[in-house]
Amino acid sequence: MGKSVLIVDDAMFMRLTLKLMLEKNGFQVVGEAENGAVAVAKYKELKPDIVTMDITMPEVDGIMALRQIRAMDDKAKVVMVSAMGQEVMIREAVMAGAKSFIVKPFKEEGVIKTLSNL
Amino acid sequence: MSEDGISKEPMLEMYLFEGNQLVEQLEEIIIKCEKDKKFEMAAINEIFRIMHTIKGSSAMMMFNQIGSVAHSMEDLFFFIRANQNIQLDFVGLSDLVLAGIDFIKAEMNKIEQGNIADGLGDDLIAEIKTMLIQMKNSYENQNTMPATLPDSSPDGAKPKYYISSYKKPSEEKRLDTKYCVEIFFEEDCQMENIRAYMVINNLQDIVKDMYYIPANVIDDGDSADIIREKGFLICFSTSVSYAEVESTLHQTAFLRRMEINQVDQYPDAIKALYGKREIILEDAFEVDPQPKIETAEVGKEGDLGIGNSRQQNIISVSVAKLDMLMDIVGEIVISEAMVTKNSDLAGLQLDGFSKAARQLRKLTDELQDIVMSIRMVPVSIVFQKMNRIVRDMSKKLAKEVDLEIIGDTTEVDKNIIDHLSDPLMHLIRNAMDHGLEKKEDRVKAVKPSKGKVTLEAKNAGGDVLIIVRDDGKGLDREKILNKARERGLVHKPEHELTDKEIFSYILLAGFSTNEQVTEFSGRGVGMDVVTKNIEKIGGSITIESVFGKGTEIFVKIPLTLAIIDGIEVSVGKSRYTIPTISIRESFRIDESDVTSDGDGNEMIMIRGQCYPVLRIHRMFNIKNPVMRISDGIMVMIESDSKTACLFVDKLVGEQQVVVKALPRYLKKVQGIAGCTILGDGGISLILDVNGILERQLS
Repeated sequence: MGKSVLIVDDAMFMRLTLKLMLEKNGFQVVGEAENGAVAVAKYKELKPDIVTMDITMPEVDGIMALRQIRAMDDKAKVVMVSAMGQEVMIREAVMAGAKSFIVKPFKEEGVIKTLSNL
Repeated sequence: MSEDGISKEPMLEMYLFEGNQLVEQLEEIIIKCEKDKKFEMAAINEIFRIMHTIKGSSAMMMFNQIGSVAHSMEDLFFFIRANQNIQLDFVGLSDLVLAGIDFIKAEMNKIEQGNIADGLGDDLIAEIKTMLIQMKNSYENQNTMPATLPDSSPDGAKPKYYISSYKKPSEEKRLDTKYCVEIFFEEDCQMENIRAYMVINNLQDIVKDMYYIPANVIDDGDSADIIREKGFLICFSTSVSYAEVESTLHQTAFLRRMEINQVDQYPDAIKALYGKREIILEDAFEVDPQPKIETAEVGKEGDLGIGNSRQQNIISVSVAKLDMLMDIVGEIVISEAMVTKNSDLAGLQLDGFSKAARQLRKLTDELQDIVMSIRMVPVSIVFQKMNRIVRDMSKKLAKEVDLEIIGDTTEVDKNIIDHLSDPLMHLIRNAMDHGLEKKEDRVKAVKPSKGKVTLEAKNAGGDVLIIVRDDGKGLDREKILNKARERGLVHKPEHELTDKEIFSYILLAGFSTNEQVTEFSGRGVGMDVVTKNIEKIGGSITIESVFGKGTEIFVKIPLTLAIIDGIEVSVGKSRYTIPTISIRESFRIDESDVTSDGDGNEMIMIRGQCYPVLRIHRMFNIKNPVMRISDGIMVMIESDSKTACLFVDKLVGEQQVVVKALPRYLKKVQGIAGCTILGDGGISLILDVNGILERQLS
């Protein structure tokens, strides 16, 4: 069984794209969340091996969600998904325990490499 | 994406679906902000976020022009968000964002139609950039402090090579080994500087001290280029084993080449800088936090009406699937009746069966209600779009207009709402263009200089009534009548024409009393298209107007096309369903109550009012019906304030029926709206009450 993944992104499009890429490569997408609050709740419920976390989201953003998830489980493997120009936020995320990051627009190869590396 | 071997189809569909949704949301926000004459923080956040999302998705799908426009818009709102007290040019800003929305919409539309998104956004992007520069300039003047933007690296400043260090809090020196590591990342891995930062971050726990070049890996955007070209050099001392150092470093993603060297001394480059005391100590644990503007604003989003939370727990389902579901549920309802009312059961005493049948009945009813309610959507979806129309029109026509929206939570079937948008758009345009007077004329007529257009929806029995009302000059009865005469449309003695009938001439094709053809209206196309579209969904239009005071257009549409409550009647061997909503009463009468005029038209007198009698068997040529008035039953029907009595053999019962269209091979029969399948498998024709009344009474 491939590693289980929770996809967090406020854009349905991004969630679908990631899901297609991951499932094609043997990952098991166990859940999706459209904002940070839902992500934290789903993490608690699903205990996925990996979380892909968008940064810019309404209400609870990705970094806040990352902090909350890490507070619950300090072994949580969270990969940030960000756009160009968000370097400062990624640094903050890395400080807060993010394991790696993906830059939008991403390619399948890069995504898989990043997640396989964890 | 195709090179990744993933089918683009579902992604494209999702891209368009979500993109359109976002753009509409954005439009709503802008119109609201413009009305309130301020951009709330929550709105700015939301605009920023939407543009950010569109940018990201478009870049993934390689719709670069859309992506670039969204990107420049995102930059603009990033600046506004970071500098809240900035003076905003509301009008200019709204216009610009709306122009952006229009561009994105147009491009998405092209994609949807299967065309290439070939629009060029360069001019628009230039305009947005100009506005951003102007904003920055005026902000600098305003505050004398330059605005801080992460992507605004000061052009003049040269990339600095400086050294930062990280020291583990005082620990006694043991036998430490010094390492120098040179790292090259894979091409295209992007954000090399952050990847370098991750190396630093990973090492932190095992090293005593650490020096690296380039040092300012985060804040200096150029550092990514330097690392790409020259690699990332990091030196540190540690007490842990080589193997552990190696494995820690190998955690780094996208490594192309790494050289780990044990050294006695740090290389000159680092020493040189170190010696020059240019070391900037950077405490890795104390990173200035990002300004968190969003957090405090969460609560506000509600009053903006954007409410992201409403997206939660909602899934999108294709309408085709709902249609199928509806159809199947309709069949189940019929099958249920076929089973429970099966003629094989006649005369049997089946207590257990009856109980089970009742339960089944209850559940199928509930199922039907739920399926119906799934298909219901509030008219606000269409109403909100009108804000934009009013805004654009009022600018172009130089008429100040308030749009009042009432009852936009009224729900109608999804199938119906799709056909509402265009007709309403026409009506609103007409109201603004022809209905409302120019400002000077309004003042002369002692009216408020600002015109008012009202859009109202309300439930009226089994129908929904949508009213478009303006307080403009009203319709000119004589002018319309003259024009109708010219066109030879008047087929009745003029003194018999009611106002309503005269006004309804403007619904005919090619009819426009407006001498001036404007960009929006006056060509006489429109109203007839509006009428046709509304009639297509089983609706009707009536007009009321007071000259000088204003016009009201009533659009009556059915709640749903799928299910109606009906009374089953029989005539001869045929069965008909009369929509319950059109029935006022039913009663038996004697032969003597019916009088007839010279042409054989029958009438009855009920409570001092005279009503025409229509025998269904005559209308549809039915054989062997009940002929004697006293043996049959009268059903009084009404529609649009016209009333008549239908004579039928007998009432069979009341039931909800699923409306099915007549098969294509039957031409439209006047007086028949559709058909339905009965519990016993028979077919019942659904009467079109309005059609019958119109035919018989004209």
